[in-house]
Amino acid sequence: MKNPQLIKKKICLLGSFSVGKTSLVRRFVYDVFDDFYLSTLGAKVSQKIMPPVEKEDGSLHQFQLMLWDIEGQEKFSDYLQNYFQGSSGAVLVLDLTRKDSWQVLSDLKQQFLQLNPGAKFVLAANKVDLISDDHLHIREIGDFARDLQIDYFLTSAKDGRNVEALFRHLSMQLSE
Amino acid sequence: MGKEKYEQILEYLQIAYACLTPDGTIREANSLFSQVAVSYPQKTQIDDCVPEIAGLESVMRELVTGKRHIFTLKFVQKDFQGEIHYYHFHLLKGQSPSCPIIFFAQDATEQALNRQKILQQRNEILLLQQIAAERKHFLSSSILGNSLPIRHLREMVQKIARVSSSSVLLLGESGTGKNLVANVIHYNSSKAKYPFVEINCAAIPESLLEAELFGYEKGAFTTAVNAKQGLLEEAHQGTLFLDEIAELPLKLQAKLLSVLEAKTFRRLGSNKQREVEFRLIAATNRDLAELVRQGEFREDLFYRLNVVSLKLPPLREMGEDVLIIADHFRQVFNLEFKKDVRGFSPEARQALLAYHWPGNVRELSNCIERAMIFTDGPFIEKEQLLLQPLFKEEQKLRWQVPDTGLDLEAVEIQLIRSALEKAKGNKTKAAQLLGLSRDTLRYRMEKYNIS
Repeated sequence: MKNPQLIKKKICLLGSFSVGKTSLVRRFVYDVFDDFYLSTLGAKVSQKIMPPVEKEDGSLHQFQLMLWDIEGQEKFSDYLQNYFQGSSGAVLVLDLTRKDSWQVLSDLKQQFLQLNPGAKFVLAANKVDLISDDHLHIREIGDFARDLQIDYFLTSAKDGRNVEALFRHLSMQLSE
Repeated sequence: MGKEKYEQILEYLQIAYACLTPDGTIREANSLFSQVAVSYPQKTQIDDCVPEIAGLESVMRELVTGKRHIFTLKFVQKDFQGEIHYYHFHLLKGQSPSCPIIFFAQDATEQALNRQKILQQRNEILLLQQIAAERKHFLSSSILGNSLPIRHLREMVQKIARVSSSSVLLLGESGTGKNLVANVIHYNSSKAKYPFVEINCAAIPESLLEAELFGYEKGAFTTAVNAKQGLLEEAHQGTLFLDEIAELPLKLQAKLLSVLEAKTFRRLGSNKQREVEFRLIAATNRDLAELVRQGEFREDLFYRLNVVSLKLPPLREMGEDVLIIADHFRQVFNLEFKKDVRGFSPEARQALLAYHWPGNVRELSNCIERAMIFTDGPFIEKEQLLLQPLFKEEQKLRWQVPDTGLDLEAVEIQLIRSALEKAKGNKTKAAQLLGLSRDTLRYRMEKYNIS
């Protein structure tokens, strides 16, 4: 079997402060979690090579995800937009326990698309471990994701729930 | 100035530098470059050496064609074996054909650390504000725990919230969270967009309570220099929460009953009837039925309030939920005290579970707050909890048959399974936990077919 072709893909994590962007990356890349909150300043890039995927023509390819963990964005700013340049996709992250963190995502997605037309998205409704199954926000998240026109995952960086699935889903979208 | 002198200046200023071709091949670089470019000089493509540059092909094209002169990535974090550095990365249009793109990186660690401190403080304040606002509006998640009494409570609260008109009576020991439950009911009901007005009947002198509740007109009494709206009016369309309702004077009990039935009232010093509509939630830690028998509480008001009553479980009946709630407070106080306490030592967990919590959640909150103040290590130890030892007699009182009865064999099976789980299958340890001999435990396991 041929060695798969390694393709670099830049993925940004977008969202308000303290929604768990750093924790999601750390869980996904290093399989660790720390609930001490330290605000991210600027950006940090981590890398993870995804399992090879066979395309319809039988060729194999493999994504090397360049994961940009970016300082929390309350609004789109020039200072932050350079981080988004040249991205293939983004993980929009919200905190299920804080409705304030949802509001910024729609604008961020639009601005991100203007810089990166054709970018793929997935929504991480994070901190699901902190709320009950019947919490109002759980019931609302489906509608919210539908309005944003993106697929969503209820994730927990703390217990690892759906973190792998989240990034795998985005990778699948990138290979389409 | 010669190239060597430029290089000397760049080194002095701690600037890493590389000269790139339009396709991103590194043509030359100074010695500092290898600090930010991990695999240089083994690899020679800029995005292989500096992963932050990956995806910037269009930016580099714009630099080569002159459409852009500089591109900057500020505060890029790099981790060098646990040592964090921040850099400003720049791509600059080069002036010579041999070097069409210049990459350079400035160490900005000191500036970043100062900025990070400010950002951290700002975010923590915003976070606390948002959490407080969220709690106020969506408190369901604040009823923490997975025990049967708590699951039942959550279910009841959701049902009560769906019907917005009936009065609710919350019963429970002091510190069980009656105020929280009242908030949850209000903010999960159709009245959520209207006010939630609360008053503690025991906290206000009788002489002022009437004016507080019903309001007054100018001149109604000597100090009534202006008219004032009462809490009943403030709560219009919303919820009025009367905490410690048992302390409401008999005279005001009659007036309150009248308002509940007629949905009208008069301000003090006024003849005008005012219409008002609100849901009443009342709470007490006293036995209202007994107070009715003693003539200290009006029977008709008791029945009016008791349309829906909800008993809040004391913490000692919530089993391992104590640990969930304690952990919640740990997180809250970590934020408040800017600490990084990771959890509780096994002994501290055992002590939390064994204690009888006469002051309920309020006492638990105070206990964790106190422990967090004095903890310097990563875990809260048993000694830092400062829990009073249980008396044997109190310990016996902890076990009570619920009103609905129980299946003793099922409880025994559950306890045996729980002990085995805690002892990781070790029968000797499990027997110790249950206060049994190993043989007795084995006999009971056989009897109940527990493998």
